[in-house]
Amino acid sequence: MKKFLILVLMLSLVAGMVFAQGAAEKEADSDVIKIALIIENTIDDKGWCQAMHDGITLAMEQNPGRIEYSYSEKMKPVDAGSAVLQYAGQGYDIIIGHGAQYKNLITEMAAEYPDISFAFGTSSEIVGPNVFSYMPESEETGYLNGLIAGMLTKTNTIGLIGPVDGGDAARYNRGFVLGVKAVNSAANVMVAHTGSFSDFVKATEVAQSQIRSGADILTGSSQQALGGLRAVADYRDKDIWWVGQDLAQIGIPEGYKVLSASSYNYAAVINTLVKKMDAGIVGGENIPMNFNNDGFVFKFNEATKSKITPAIEAKVNEALAAFKGQAGHASVVNWSSVKYN
Amino acid sequence: MTFIVNILSLGIPFSVALLIASLGEMFNQRSGIFNLGCEGMMAMGAFLGMLVPYTIGQGADVPGIYNYLGLLLASGVGALLGLFFGLVVVTFRAPQGIAGIGMQMFGVGTAGTLFRHFIGGTQSVPGINTAPIPGLSKIPILGTLFFNHNPMVYVAFLFVPIAWYILFKTPWGLRVRAVGTHPRAADSIGIQVNKVRFQALAVGGALAGLAGAYLSLCQVKMFSDEIIAGRGFIAVALVYFGHWHPVKIMAGALLFALAQALQLAIQGLGIDFPYEFLVMLPYALVIVVLAFSRKSQKTGPSALGKPFNREIRT
Repeated sequence: MKKFLILVLMLSLVAGMVFAQGAAEKEADSDVIKIALIIENTIDDKGWCQAMHDGITLAMEQNPGRIEYSYSEKMKPVDAGSAVLQYAGQGYDIIIGHGAQYKNLITEMAAEYPDISFAFGTSSEIVGPNVFSYMPESEETGYLNGLIAGMLTKTNTIGLIGPVDGGDAARYNRGFVLGVKAVNSAANVMVAHTGSFSDFVKATEVAQSQIRSGADILTGSSQQALGGLRAVADYRDKDIWWVGQDLAQIGIPEGYKVLSASSYNYAAVINTLVKKMDAGIVGGENIPMNFNNDGFVFKFNEATKSKITPAIEAKVNEALAAFKGQAGHASVVNWSSVKYN
Repeated sequence: MTFIVNILSLGIPFSVALLIASLGEMFNQRSGIFNLGCEGMMAMGAFLGMLVPYTIGQGADVPGIYNYLGLLLASGVGALLGLFFGLVVVTFRAPQGIAGIGMQMFGVGTAGTLFRHFIGGTQSVPGINTAPIPGLSKIPILGTLFFNHNPMVYVAFLFVPIAWYILFKTPWGLRVRAVGTHPRAADSIGIQVNKVRFQALAVGGALAGLAGAYLSLCQVKMFSDEIIAGRGFIAVALVYFGHWHPVKIMAGALLFALAQALQLAIQGLGIDFPYEFLVMLPYALVIVVLAFSRKSQKTGPSALGKPFNREIRT
């Protein structure tokens, strides 16, 4: 009996030490925020999905030891549910569906898992107490590129390739038109939508059509725009240029045609999410992205900088300073009223 | 005038991938095999087409021969996929519609997976550029319309009379039509029905692969998983549209591509009209023409979609 009691005591001691260690680990781990990302394309698509992936990895560098990160690529909204369930089961703190197409899924899952935070974008909608949404105010990035296009065009014909007329693409496009018109009221911006976010071939066809019609500066939004840049790159020795919506476009072989790129810095969204979580806020808010909160990055392409005159650079820098100083600046605040025709 | 010339000159290259794939599908269907997997074969062709110049050049310019080797590889693997499809639907007599959907998913999925493994992310290749024909390309209007295109554009339109000649003027073409119309009668006079169907599937697969490689090497000069974006299915529809005849299929491909060029040009004009309807225009046009084309019921291969088994009387 005595031996049995000693054995039970020892086992209790060992068990107590193990549980104590586990609790200590949990205590130590409680600072770590586990983020899961669900995307419809890949993390290296040089566009939409890569921008979010890069933002999260940058936020990890800016918050050492605070973020643990996993991602699922090529997730159609109908397939993404299983990925969300897995992440929920593995104890992730924030699950991000990167794209407005995930709204319904995120809304349903958020109701099922009220202890987990969810996020989706681009959208301004608030769909649940544990759901964040994020919305790039892309009219600012479009405006800067529009200033360049409007001042640089020689034919007064500018091409704009859109995926669909909605979300941040619509904001970018309308901001671009505002930028062009602010410096060149005579310029004609030819707008055409492909109806797809990922059909490179159609974007190429749009660009070819616009170039044949005289466009000498082109731009486009979403990952399909890469097809438009590829079409511009075929005119290697012609005075036809591209202003991009993603910094990754500067570094690719076709970069010799890119004058500038305005890119999303999703690290700003992730950093905000981390701060909100630290403050105990798990959702129910919209996180805007703009130059004012470092949600955007703008760069001229050093390789093609010789095309940018001092007057263009001064105009762009002036607008950039205004955007950094104030969100919702007067020059772009009426973006939604812009008509393409 | 420039507006019309632009539409016409853009419509011609836009039609090429559809034209090549449709001609391949025509051979399939003429032999009695309905190949919905055209999309998957095109995807494999698109990936393999750009793989050769990309691997050699890593994004830099490579001698033109490597681009043409890419086209050749795409066609070869397309032919092999056609034979594989034949194994499923001719030898094992699997339902052609379901097997076609399987082939579509297999091709698109395999191309995407191999792309991720061998290349990684979206990459471009210099590809095959436009080659204006000296002298002729300078002719006003006609030069822009007909003599200022990618070399593969001329090859594709050359396929039309070649396909017509093979189908209607050669013994093999006669055998293809026979096994697609009356396989039992063809069998009774000594034609090996399954062998001819395998041959037709190899030709169809090779052309589907080539069509995909045209997109990745000549038109957009890059690959992405969704590069085909339904064009394989449109190619299948164009075969019905063209009543299984090469010249009419060419007309269908041109009509679709011209409608595409037209809708892009109209969007560029900035007319206050919902762009969604303009994007739909080429597809709606094909559906409308198919719906009103009663002739397609009469001229279709009567054994289309039916597996052949000489032991069973059908």
